[in-house]
Amino acid sequence: MRPTDDINRLIKKLQLKASADLDRRVRNDINIALAESQKTDSAVTQPNIWRIIMKNPIVKLAVAAVVIIACLIGLSFWRTTGSGIALADVLARMEQVKAFRSQWSQWRTYGEKMTGEDPNKPYSSEARDTWSGTCLISQEYGFKGKIEQLDPNGGESTFTECYLSPDMKTLIIIQPWQKKYRRMELDDGWGERWRQKFDPRTQTKRILEYKYESMGRATIDGIEVEGFRTTDPNYHLIGENDPNIRQVDVKMWVDVKTRLPVRYDITYAWFDQMGDKIIEYGHYVMHDFQWDVPVDAAEFEPVIPDDYTSLVVKYPAHITEETAIQGLKLLVELLGKYPENITDVGATVLRLAEKSETPAAMRLKEEIKGLTDDEIGNKLVDFLMPIRGLAKFYNLLQWDKKDPAYYGKTVTPKDADKVLMRWKVSDNEYRVIYGDLRVETVTPEKLAELEGGLPK
Amino acid sequence: MLEDKLLVWQFNRGSKDALRHIYEKYKNDLVTLAAALLTDVSSAEDVVHDVFVCFIKSSDRFRLTGSLKGYLATCVANSARNKNKARQKRLSYGLDEADVVSSNPNNPDAAVIFGEELRQLSSALSQLPYEQREVLLLHSYSGLKFRTIAGSLGVSINTVQGRYRYAVDKLRSMLNGEVRK
Repeated sequence: MRPTDDINRLIKKLQLKASADLDRRVRNDINIALAESQKTDSAVTQPNIWRIIMKNPIVKLAVAAVVIIACLIGLSFWRTTGSGIALADVLARMEQVKAFRSQWSQWRTYGEKMTGEDPNKPYSSEARDTWSGTCLISQEYGFKGKIEQLDPNGGESTFTECYLSPDMKTLIIIQPWQKKYRRMELDDGWGERWRQKFDPRTQTKRILEYKYESMGRATIDGIEVEGFRTTDPNYHLIGENDPNIRQVDVKMWVDVKTRLPVRYDITYAWFDQMGDKIIEYGHYVMHDFQWDVPVDAAEFEPVIPDDYTSLVVKYPAHITEETAIQGLKLLVELLGKYPENITDVGATVLRLAEKSETPAAMRLKEEIKGLTDDEIGNKLVDFLMPIRGLAKFYNLLQWDKKDPAYYGKTVTPKDADKVLMRWKVSDNEYRVIYGDLRVETVTPEKLAELEGGLPK
Repeated sequence: MLEDKLLVWQFNRGSKDALRHIYEKYKNDLVTLAAALLTDVSSAEDVVHDVFVCFIKSSDRFRLTGSLKGYLATCVANSARNKNKARQKRLSYGLDEADVVSSNPNNPDAAVIFGEELRQLSSALSQLPYEQREVLLLHSYSGLKFRTIAGSLGVSINTVQGRYRYAVDKLRSMLNGEVRK
């Protein structure tokens, strides 16, 4: 080897790791800067519809603080030790309501804190995303919501309107500040999940499923209420399936006269990948409920002005088992094997594809030659769609607690009798995708036998 | 670089995830490059931080013409060069004792930035003139072509190749037989 090569070889060995402090600084800057500047629509948004809505935050600290104060200002209470309300009775009453209106606020604070630190203690540096809105839910006509993002610098607020059909299969999002709208055709699960986020009935059901306690009596906005609270570590936050979200604290206040909810306060902490630092706090409040309000069908009809243009929505709309299989198939074609994990795919797959010499990888590389950057981006997004669908399918299984597992690290396309992926269908059945992409429903006992044979 | 093309495309459209992905992918290489240029980890991290702040702000207008890694490495080199110039200026005015220590080529801290295994190399690198160290690292560590380096430095390709040759010769002589082990 020539000496110059030796020098180069040695130089390539140089490797430092960025410190946690640099990570924190850059992450904060990413959060702050993009939150401030982001007004453009992301056509590559994953099909987490809640995040699609929240994609365009205008965050300025001062007025965000005002929003928070405004949300909290109405909450003053005194406690008694009395407790006479059964939460199940509250839910039963809520289920009888045909239509209701409510308001909500959500804000997120970014920063970093060590586990156990006081969540109310200010960050050394922080940013906030803040939204608020109203919603109207009718059993007969569907869902209508309005989301407002305030510009604390005195600029105009941005409003987004959302309409979900009663069958929960069509979602229309109107963004007047962009003069744009999106129409999305959803599968059953998506619409339902989306509605759940805003529906207090789901929150109440969820509290009932976990360990909760009475907080006694209090007064909110002059109304005598009784509080319920859960901090159950197993509590599964509605609308989020990220395992790094923990320390969920849910409080619910019920009017002692009407036995219907007055307010919900939800706080959660978002930990970093290592699990030892909190990088974000989320707060979600539902309040000002108006139960059993009269509604008109016309209220649920979106009005889209003629000069509004339709946004291109690029995501796999219908996420099913077939979506997952198509994604796995494409991965094999592209990489010649299954990747080690399927939850962080997308751009990462392209890094692997770069080195791959499969016909599909070669074809992709050939097809983008001579294209502009924009054309390449569009092409890659389209190309990766089945793989994103696979990742989303797996996320949904996690979200729905269907006990999913994926064994791409050890299972190959030739392993026709080995479990590549599985999830729970019912107490007595699991769905299994084998290495050759054959699908079968098996009993838990059979699954245990199959998984027992997998390489460790 | 398909992955980078997609990340930049998403970044242009305001994707925070894409930006995080880019940072995670390149942060260690960039900190290493800056630390090797400045022989000071703390300043190196400041440089990488500054580069990402500028990069973040360019989200809607950034266009990738070469490789993303090369672009970010060039940004780090430019920022490190400015920092080095400022440091030299302060040194010449005798304003900053702390910088006198950190820029001393014989400073033992500078030599051990990269650990014992590469102690001799990092010590030798820190003794190279800045211009030569810069070219050597951009070419050998970050993989930039001489032509690209020449373009970013505003000098001729011959000058860049000359600096590279001088750097390699000096390193070889300083390391003696170390590289042959």
